[in-house]
Amino acid sequence: MTSIDVQDLTKEYGSKRAVDRLTFSVLPGRVTGFLGPNGAGKSTTMRLVLGLDRPTSGTATVGGRAYATLDEPLRKVGALLDAGAAHGSRTARDHLRALAATNRISERRVDDVLEETGLTSVARRRVKTYSLGMRQRLGIAAALLGDPPVVLLDEPSNGLDPEGIIWIRELLRRLAREGRTVLVSSHLMNETASFADQLVVLGRGRLLADMPMREFIHARVQPRVRVRSTDGGALASLFAEHGIEAVEGEDGRWTALDARLEDIGRLTSAAGLPILELAAEEGTLEQAYLDLTATETEFAAVPTQPQEA
Amino acid sequence: MSFAPALRAEWIKIRTLRSLLWGLLAVLAATVAFSALAGLDNSDDPEFDPLFSTFFGVSFGQIAAITFGAQAVSAEYQGGALRVSLSAVPDRGRWFLAKTVAIGGPALIVGLVTGVAGLVVGTSVLGSRANGLTWAEELRGVVGCAIYLALMALFAAGLAAVLRSGVATLSILIPFLLIVSFVVGGASGTVADFLPDKAGQTVLHETSGGALGPWSGLAVTALWTAAALGAGAWCVRRRDA
Repeated sequence: MTSIDVQDLTKEYGSKRAVDRLTFSVLPGRVTGFLGPNGAGKSTTMRLVLGLDRPTSGTATVGGRAYATLDEPLRKVGALLDAGAAHGSRTARDHLRALAATNRISERRVDDVLEETGLTSVARRRVKTYSLGMRQRLGIAAALLGDPPVVLLDEPSNGLDPEGIIWIRELLRRLAREGRTVLVSSHLMNETASFADQLVVLGRGRLLADMPMREFIHARVQPRVRVRSTDGGALASLFAEHGIEAVEGEDGRWTALDARLEDIGRLTSAAGLPILELAAEEGTLEQAYLDLTATETEFAAVPTQPQEA
Repeated sequence: MSFAPALRAEWIKIRTLRSLLWGLLAVLAATVAFSALAGLDNSDDPEFDPLFSTFFGVSFGQIAAITFGAQAVSAEYQGGALRVSLSAVPDRGRWFLAKTVAIGGPALIVGLVTGVAGLVVGTSVLGSRANGLTWAEELRGVVGCAIYLALMALFAAGLAAVLRSGVATLSILIPFLLIVSFVVGGASGTVADFLPDKAGQTVLHETSGGALGPWSGLAVTALWTAAALGAGAWCVRRRDA
């Protein structure tokens, strides 16, 4: 099993604690969305996993081993950290050839990943002529170069056009289906909701949540039911009678808060109300995330405790 | 993981950047051109040194050599390139050694070509005034020129790894080579003899007036280079990438 295991990981820059006693695991066969506002410690955590930054304390391993001890690491872990990492005056193909050479990866594989990321036609052009979206694709090509079982991508959809965003979503889903371990950071909720199975949420370097995405949403967002009847007044009194909190929207449409579809359906049917529309409103990841960060802000509004030295 | 793949990758990085290849070509062009110009000056200088006249252009060629060395390293400090390099080769000592060899090797070969070309052009411009040079002195000049240029490129490479910037490296080294050495270096028999460029250039003189001989002078430059590379390696190993 090639999982990423982060254990009690802490990283301080001077007196600022960028990553604060973080413990979580990223498991194979699913896409794990890595969420948090800018500066929450997502990128730092990824650099620590890749052995690029030295942790102040704690460990980060891939498949049970520290990254720096891996032999030919590109064949085990692929990463996209910065879209601007390829030198502007080099061609995309030469950038990948140099990278492939370090881990004795064939040139054929270079052409394969260029094909896979849609860069074949521009592979011999210098990287400085690329748009941000093309650089992202090149970074993803570099991450896939060693056909690794573990993939870490930092904000991969940055700068991608709508077609690119759909492409990356399908790529991530496919990588997970193939049984790979996929960790993808983002601060875009709708985007993350479209590909993640599992969520790891950071705030100010600390772990706020680590659970399946559905569970995360259900735990934080009350289910709602949208209902419309020919007789809005009767609907209102029905809700009042049963102590269901509801708000009226446009066109006599009502939204019952903290209610389940089955219950509302049964009630309106028993009351003999003609129903024009009855639908469950799924909570969104964005709502759940905002709910989480709201409680976090309250927590942080308490006078800050002196930082440990 | 062995050393050869890392070296191969670093070599690909150097030969796929046009600015670096131009830098190497400039070492040859500047050295030969300025040596030829120096030879044309046939004033009766009592301290005229035919060997140094032949290799006079090295003072200019070395600017191209340090630019090459500094840029080859500083390219890693742009846009997170170093993070990609080190995630492919996590053994930082091995990575820096590969980088060093990939810079030093080509610089040495270009230096050798430069030395031969400089000698041929320089002596033919000097004509009869170069008659006093022996075969041994000429060979020493060519080999010394190659080693000296490679050492200066590596000196800059080490410094660039410490400073993480090609611009910073060159804005220290170029004024140093052009001003400090020309001004302070005029006086022989002082501590200036032990400056990295002055010490190494004794190998290009027929007679050395200072405390250092041709090979001991080059050894002093090698020590400077070793110190710069050592500091660079230490920084690469210790710092967060």
